[in-house]
Formats: sequence, structure tokens, C-alpha cells
Amino acid sequence: MILVPITYRGGVYRHNEIIDLIEDLGGYIIQKHMIAQEVVLQCFVPKDDVELIRAIGKPLAGEVTDSPLVGTEIAVVSMSLEIHHLPHPSCDIAEYVRRLGAKSNMIGMARGVGKRIAGINDEERDVINEHDIAVYLLGNFEHCIEKKTPLILRGIEVPVVLCGGPDKEVLQRIAKADGYVGNVGRFMHRTKESEELEKLDEIIEEITRVLSKRREEIAKDPLSVSPARLMDVIRENVPAILDVTSPTPLTVQMAGLRVKLPYDTYAEIIKKTMIEDGVTIGEIADVVPSRIRDYILVQVKPFSETNIVL
Amino acid sequence: MQAIEYFEVECPDIRGGENYRQIANDVLLDHNMLRVVNKIHIYIDPKVPIFVAVGTLKKVMTVIKVGDIANVNPQEKKFTLAISDETYLAPMLKVFWDKFGKDHVDQPDRFTVVLTGLDISARDLEEMPIIDPSEALYKDLVYAMKCICPEGFRVRSENFGKEKFSFVASEDTLTEAGLALVKEKFALMGETP
Repeated sequence: MILVPITYRGGVYRHNEIIDLIEDLGGYIIQKHMIAQEVVLQCFVPKDDVELIRAIGKPLAGEVTDSPLVGTEIAVVSMSLEIHHLPHPSCDIAEYVRRLGAKSNMIGMARGVGKRIAGINDEERDVINEHDIAVYLLGNFEHCIEKKTPLILRGIEVPVVLCGGPDKEVLQRIAKADGYVGNVGRFMHRTKESEELEKLDEIIEEITRVLSKRREEIAKDPLSVSPARLMDVIRENVPAILDVTSPTPLTVQMAGLRVKLPYDTYAEIIKKTMIEDGVTIGEIADVVPSRIRDYILVQVKPFSETNIVL
Repeated sequence: MQAIEYFEVECPDIRGGENYRQIANDVLLDHNMLRVVNKIHIYIDPKVPIFVAVGTLKKVMTVIKVGDIANVNPQEKKFTLAISDETYLAPMLKVFWDKFGKDHVDQPDRFTVVLTGLDISARDLEEMPIIDPSEALYKDLVYAMKCICPEGFRVRSENFGKEKFSFVASEDTLTEAGLALVKEKFALMGETP
């Protein structure tokens, strides 16, 4: 069964029917937002049943759209947390990817600014590596980007999309990354003009392209269990997660899950949680401490390592 | 940028220069600096690296007095001030407290201040200076320049006078050659530092 990421947007009235339908079809709800009279569900559903959900949702004023970023966690890396880089463009981009279903975290580097003085420390490197993809927001000068990019990409193992002031072709020539978006450097105003919004769409396209490549790689050696399913298992078996006030207590990633519970108290409980037929989470995933607060990171192992697919 | 007589951003990196022109424009607008800056020339060379901003200033506002922001109504043994502009209300109260003491100053509501038991004429009260906005303006101008300047350029030399200003910043130690650019850029605007 192939699961595809979608967003369902509809009225509050009878929305439980849609939730039941998705769950009955074998889909997973990643996030649920209730905004006034509207419900937004970000979910994974079986590919063949998208039309069925669309048809059932129609009388309830429901709308189904593809959301390629659902179930991904994106690091938006800003060179600093100073007024120079915030709130524009960092927040604009972080907010835009969030709208399309991704969970974005903003990371401001301690020594990201400058040319000669730029650098990355181990904590920043580890935090970025916990994500599915990193979007680096660079400055306007070609010369600076060329000099500093190798310094701030040191040790980064996840795919990287670079956004910078020069043209895309120039960025491709001067820096080594997985994706490039040109003409988005440092700016000090809100992105509201149509051409600026097009640029944001271009960033999304580039992120989607890089992520689909990564999805293909994962598909070659599939995961032992889908992270979305793991999310459901933890939600059912570890009731403490229901008391977490964070917007996404369980953050689904492409090949894992971030559990926003203290590692020392809950790691063992999660490791011993049964998924199916006597297989526990600890057998098919690495449960490690996250560098973000004291959260838990569950990294699902591929089939080649475990010989199990659930 | 109609209000500015001369506005130029010079940079060997053409695209970077265009972006910085936009940044300078946004920052000056956001920080309400158009009423202060008359001419501005910015030079950035990321290869050196150096950032130079030079410019001239407009005649800034005069000192704000009590009479400018409030109507003074002398009554028997007291003055009632009807505030017409709240902007400088806080510094005005501070001046009153320092000068007359808190016992003599009362603010029964948002737009009224009552002064009691003072030995002062209504005219003297109206002429009492509250604040010189130009002092804050220079601070704002320095802040605006810091915002425009690339963030990594942390070694700075700032020079702000009544009529002209210059701001030089770099990632490395500032050299004589870098500081000499100030004169050169002033000359481009037809001014002397």
C-alpha cells in the first residue's frame, strides 16, 4: 500500500467522519489543526483512496490537496538571530513551508555571519543533522557565499538547499549543495509582492525535488516500519505523550520520529513498546537522545538491517 | 526615496549592490530616517571587506517644550495641562518629577496633568524644555546603519556630527586606506567630510 501525503481542509461539522474514514482506510493523521470553524488535517492516505476521501469530503465543504512536505521536518538555518536576518526572510520561509505541511524549526547560528569569521559548532551541526533537510539562508554577496559555505556546511550529512542573493547558476558554480534557489538573499521587508511569493514557491519546489530524491533512496531499502505508524503506536501505548502541550508532541520525519518526552524517563518505555507480533520499537529503531532539549529521537532502521517489515 | 536628495549604493558585485540598495531603502524607511538624511552614499566591497556609508543630514527639529505638546491652563494655585500630543508625555513627566517633586505632579487621566503648589509663571512653564529629539535621532541613525551594514562587519568606526556622518565597518581591522575612503565618497556627493 503506497501512502501519499495530503492536506484536508474543511468545516468542523462532521469532520470526525473524515478522521474515521482516513483511519479505516489505513491512513495516518500527522497533524490536526482547528482554526475557528475550519479543520486542517495533514495526513498520509493510501494513494488509491484519495479520490474517495475527496468525494466524501465534498458535501462537508472539504478540500483535498497534495502536500509533498507532510511528514518532513525541515531546518531553516539562519546565519544569526539578529535583526539583519529576522523576521525576514527566515520567518517568511519557515512559515511558508509550514503551510505546506512540513514541520519547520528555525536554527540561528552563533557564528554564521561574516566571511572569514563564519563557522559552525558541534551542537548546531548535530541539531541540523536531526532534520530531513536543511535550508540555508545566505547573504547577497557571491564572494562571501563562496568563502563561507564550506565552513558552515562542515559535518552536515542531510541534504542542503542553499538560498542566496546571486543567481541560481552562480550559486551552483560557487557552492556545493543538493539544491539551489537564487535571488533570495538578505532582505528587510515582508514577502508580499507576487514575484516574492513566486520565489517562496520556487524554494518549496526545490525542497520537494531534493526530498523526493531522498524518498527514492529510502524506497530502495525500505524502512522496517513507517514513521507515521510508529507515531500511532506511541500515541496509543505511551499515554504521557497526550499531556505534552507542544503543537506536535510527535514529529514525524521521513525516516524517524521526534518524541517530545524526556529521554531519561521515557526512552526505555518507548524501546519496550510492542508494535506487532512481539516486535518492539527497540528492535527496529535506534532510540537516541536528541540535541534539542531532552527530547527522544527514534531513527527507524532499514529492512536490510533488521529483516523485518511491519 | 523622493525625500532624499542623493542616494547611491556602490558595489563591485552588481547584483549584491542592487540588493543592498533595496535593504538601505527599507531600513531608512522603517526607521523613519528620511526626515533626517539629506544625502547618502554607500560603498561596499565584500572582497576587502569594507562597508562605508557617508552622508549629510537635514536640519533636525528644535527642542520640544511643554507648550508644544500641552495646553497650559493656569488656575488658582495650580496648573492644568491638557495634553495634545502623547509622544513626549513620559519625558515631560520625568522633567516635572525631577524639577518639582512627585508630590506636586498628578495625572488624573491619560490626557491631563495637574501641577500644584508651584511658584512659576504660566509662560515659564510653557517654555520649559522637555527633550531634544536630535539626540535620539543620532542614536537611531547609528542603529539604522548597523542594520544596513552586513552583519559580519563588526569592527566599526562611526562619526556623527550635526550636519554630516560617516560609518565605516569591516570584518578585519580597519586600515588607513579604508578610512581614507570616507573622504573619497564625500567627494562623490560634492561634499567635504
